[in-house]
Amino acid sequence: MRENDFPERLQWRPDPITLDEKVAEAKKKLLESIKRSVYVYRVDCGGCNGCEIEIFSTITAVFDAERFGIKVVPSPRHADVLLYTGAMTRSMREPAIRAYNAAPDPKIVMSYGACGCTGGIFHDNYCVWGGTDPILPVDVYVPGCPPSPPATIYGFATALGILDQKLHASHHVAPADEQVMLPFPMIPYKVRTAFEREARRMSGYYYGKQIVDEFMLALMKDRTDALGAADRLISEETDTRKRAVFMDLKALLMSKVVQE
Amino acid sequence: MFKLFREIGKAGDATVGYPFEPLDLPDGFRGKPEHNEKLCIVCGACAIACPANAITMELDDEQAYQTWDISYGRCIFCGRCQEVCPVFAIKLTKDFELAVLNKADLSESCAYETAKCKRCGKPYAVAKEVEYARKVLTSVGGPAAADVEMLDLCLACRRKADALTFQEQARPKGGAR
Repeated sequence: MRENDFPERLQWRPDPITLDEKVAEAKKKLLESIKRSVYVYRVDCGGCNGCEIEIFSTITAVFDAERFGIKVVPSPRHADVLLYTGAMTRSMREPAIRAYNAAPDPKIVMSYGACGCTGGIFHDNYCVWGGTDPILPVDVYVPGCPPSPPATIYGFATALGILDQKLHASHHVAPADEQVMLPFPMIPYKVRTAFEREARRMSGYYYGKQIVDEFMLALMKDRTDALGAADRLISEETDTRKRAVFMDLKALLMSKVVQE
Repeated sequence: MFKLFREIGKAGDATVGYPFEPLDLPDGFRGKPEHNEKLCIVCGACAIACPANAITMELDDEQAYQTWDISYGRCIFCGRCQEVCPVFAIKLTKDFELAVLNKADLSESCAYETAKCKRCGKPYAVAKEVEYARKVLTSVGGPAAADVEMLDLCLACRRKADALTFQEQARPKGGAR
């Protein structure tokens, strides 16, 4: 990683390995006319092993990457594809380069997982060089934390030039004087925040938000009888845990009702 | 032997046909976060919540545009951004096909215009966010809505205005001079 408060000239940078022209050409030729199985060797450069578990579930019966001839091998000397997982730690730089040099040319290098692509959550760690790309010439980036087995299969297909990539860089400039509406304008803002807090207290952040949104949407739909809408939502819900949260929110709604 | 084959036939095929046919993904699958640029108010809640710093916000040199940027390479698909967003502008989709050949393709960004202070002319916040705050304050009503016109001022000018009001109130009581 780059230290911001330390002079640049005193900081050592790893030199990235570059491909020479001949190898690059051979690689292109290989990708054009690959008519055999692809052997994959994986290098863990300092990950949490989540990626490894996903790689192994890719080669199990359910996703079965071996039906395409993609096989994980135990030695880089047999490998066509090198799969680098984990952020590149300082101590794993040398072994990563050794594995790269041991694999016969032409070889494809894949960065696997969020840490492999950019360093992930460790991107600003002191003992990490970032992803795989500051050290090695990477051909394919497979993001995900960890990438699911289908994402892995898609990554292999992209690496071998079978499928095209879907994601493209985009930069937009938002048009001026664009307006945003308040969500749930029928529900008073303070009541809404009270609902959100209560739902999150009951069932945690991610699901709490989903539950409270469902509840408020049900209230919004029935303009005349909000309590009736809440009752219907409660009686229709089959999940008892969710129903408990809905009932709690309804009690909160009752407490906010003012008699005229 | 025959029984074995019959059992195998009964068990069926466990392998999914993924690359050749679409995959059935369960509800709640956390894939690529989709940013709705029209709904976004650039409040920065997602950038603060993002544990991996995949979502970042940057102000350009002239302070005319605030850029919202996401790097899918760094994203860990935790869904914190979806959960903190007050206006449903970011949502995790079921899209998992994110592999790219070029690292630059992993980033997506959108620039939003900043609002300028009515008094000193300095940019202070994104225009869309100010408009949203105005709507919220008006809908809340009460003492909060009384300060709506202060939204057009930058922080320094707002402080100055507050101080002047305070001075005016304190003078008749023999306080501030």
